[in-house]
Amino acid sequence: MNFSFSEDQTLLRNSVRAALDEQCKPAHVRAMMEDDRGYGEALWSEMAKLGWLGLPFAEEQGGAGLGMVELALVLEEMGRAAYPGPYFASVVLAGLGLQAGGSAAQKEKWLPAIASGQARGTAALLEDSLDWDPAATAATAAKTGAGWTLNGVKRFVPWAHVADVALVPARAPEGVSLFLVDPRAAGVTLTPMVGIDLTTRWSEMRLDDAAVPADALMGPASEAGPVLADLLRRAAVGASAEMLGAARRCLDMSVGYAKVREQFGQLIGSFQAIRHRCAEMLVEVEKAHAAVYYAAWALGAGAEDAAMAASVCKSFVSEAARQVCGDAIQVHGGIGFTWEYDLHLYFKRAKALEPLYGDAAYHRELLVRGITTSA
Amino acid sequence: MDLNYTIEDVAFRKQVRGWLEQNLPRQIKDLEDRKVWHRKLYEAGYLGMGWPKEYGGQGARPMEQAIVADEMARAGAPAPTNGLGVGIVGPTIVVHGTDAQKRRYLRKILTAEEMWCQLYSEPNAGSDLAALRTAAEDKGDHFQVNGQKIWTSGGAIADWGLLLARTDPSVAKHKGISCFLIDMRQPGVDVRPLKQITGSSEFCEVFMTSARVEKENLIGRLGEGWGIAQTTLGYERGGRALARITSYASQYNHLMNAARRLKRNGRPILDDAVTRQKLGRIWADLEVERYAALRVLTMLERGEHPGASGSLTKLSYSEFEKRFMELAEEILGPYGQLTDGVPAEYRLEVDTAVGDHGTWAYAFLWSRAGTIYAGSSEIQKNVIGERILGLPKESRADRVGGTR
Repeated sequence: MNFSFSEDQTLLRNSVRAALDEQCKPAHVRAMMEDDRGYGEALWSEMAKLGWLGLPFAEEQGGAGLGMVELALVLEEMGRAAYPGPYFASVVLAGLGLQAGGSAAQKEKWLPAIASGQARGTAALLEDSLDWDPAATAATAAKTGAGWTLNGVKRFVPWAHVADVALVPARAPEGVSLFLVDPRAAGVTLTPMVGIDLTTRWSEMRLDDAAVPADALMGPASEAGPVLADLLRRAAVGASAEMLGAARRCLDMSVGYAKVREQFGQLIGSFQAIRHRCAEMLVEVEKAHAAVYYAAWALGAGAEDAAMAASVCKSFVSEAARQVCGDAIQVHGGIGFTWEYDLHLYFKRAKALEPLYGDAAYHRELLVRGITTSA
Repeated sequence: MDLNYTIEDVAFRKQVRGWLEQNLPRQIKDLEDRKVWHRKLYEAGYLGMGWPKEYGGQGARPMEQAIVADEMARAGAPAPTNGLGVGIVGPTIVVHGTDAQKRRYLRKILTAEEMWCQLYSEPNAGSDLAALRTAAEDKGDHFQVNGQKIWTSGGAIADWGLLLARTDPSVAKHKGISCFLIDMRQPGVDVRPLKQITGSSEFCEVFMTSARVEKENLIGRLGEGWGIAQTTLGYERGGRALARITSYASQYNHLMNAARRLKRNGRPILDDAVTRQKLGRIWADLEVERYAALRVLTMLERGEHPGASGSLTKLSYSEFEKRFMELAEEILGPYGQLTDGVPAEYRLEVDTAVGDHGTWAYAFLWSRAGTIYAGSSEIQKNVIGERILGLPKESRADRVGGTR
């Protein structure tokens, strides 16, 4: 039993933090918020060089062969820096999805390209209804002579505008299946969906008789369910790691501010109203840390309770991050409500992730189902 | 990071489980039964495990202690007795006591031959413990003690007490306090049970009128009592870390069974979407407490003292317990308030350590104590704010001057 990071894991965390402190300062984040593509190529290449883009892939696919705990460490730092870019979409959604459900040829084609930074990927997991259950997929796939024709509308597809490949669930006659789609192909229309968090870019993806070749099908038709369920769990834990990083940043900023801001002739941190709120924030952050890394370990180790741990994690961290980042604005007062002050970057990053890959209510229902079916 | 138990720990757990299956007492009727059970645990090496071997302990690892407590919770085993003696008084004597004190007292704590209580809180010194007024006056060959203590756990059955009393009223309040061992079985000590909102009396009031403390029963030096109490208050070996969670989980299963059976609007409560959300939230909170406990155990296993971060643990689980019990009451309705005549389906077997029969009503009421005793939630937040986050202390009127 050892819940602490290994020396290598600590080194990885430190090097990611150092690199992002240097190259992903708030000024960079703000510049990218104004940028059409929304991310910087220089930092992207640097991330490829540092091995982050292939971190969880096998070495023969150009990856570092590391696990979920290491991936969570990197994602926590990205949340802490409000890193703007398609890392999560490319490495977690497309990368882990391909790793779990792709054929040898599909992995060979895409994973080394993602790891080297040459290609970016994403996954189109949501539709109009916002139901995360893969069985709710309404988009259709019809068999043609040369492959498949896809129809439907996907929403909130992250970083689709810069992606070379998207994992797209669609309902084939056999059942829900996963396809690899080129977002720039004919019949695919992307429309930006601009949220409050400008470090996350979403698109609506409209499929109008979009033709994909036969080898775009991932795995056997109708068998996308388990792959998508596994991907959702990993994405939920990954998103939780980012929210944890954002929450810790908000806590650090609040404590720092409470130590310098004076009102009524005293530092505001000396008032119990502020001190107790900060203490409560720390409790939430530390528990979120335990939830994220337990779940990451469980998924990586294939522990018996991995699915439950992922739902515990997402349901807990979604609300903990909401609470902590919101409290941070309250501790700061007026300055925390200004665009100029950086706090809202992290507040909005956490908010954007809160409903994704299942919100707290979705995962709580999964927990109760898990408990009642195992009993 | 590897959250699997080691092969050694799995084997140890199996051994403890086997021993409990063989030795679990059928029923604990009174204190004597509980002492017999206590000694059996001690002789098996499952009690006082963290104490150094030279003083009768096992020098066991924190994980081994946690596993024993966890297996006891799993088996629904009764608690041993003399918890304050084994958990607080003994370790205080080990760290601060003289050789003579160690020889005289330690072994009898472990065997429950002598029962101990802790005489700290007073009617006007609760969260502000250092404001205590009970006085110990130097009478040449002994100390004479006058004053009143309250919230004394196990006071009615204690043979001895670990006492904080003021020996110098002329200095700043934290500096004038000393720590003593006091014989509870003397005419000057009057112990009265304190009836709590549970209707039971786990706590007592203790009145000391010209009570006598021998000179050799001073712990540490005069005026060092506050520092000694601070190390004792911060003494959390994480021994109950897993057991607490296991007890909660067992109660949660009872609650799920009740939710299957009880109905609202013609349907089982368990099918009600709002209740499912609440049950899911409590389960997630419970699991997160378990993960956090594993993290604390990792720290203890590495020989790190949790220090102020013990406040995070205590604040978190005591507040959780209140939320959990509120939900239990919500689901159980009036069944949750029954102290007698509880139908079998809605019973909760909990060991209350005073021999009473446990009920949801008792557990619910008791949950209100956790955020007050051993440092209220507000005090824990002060500790977290000041010692972990380094936030400035508030200006306080009592940092200077004497108490009179």
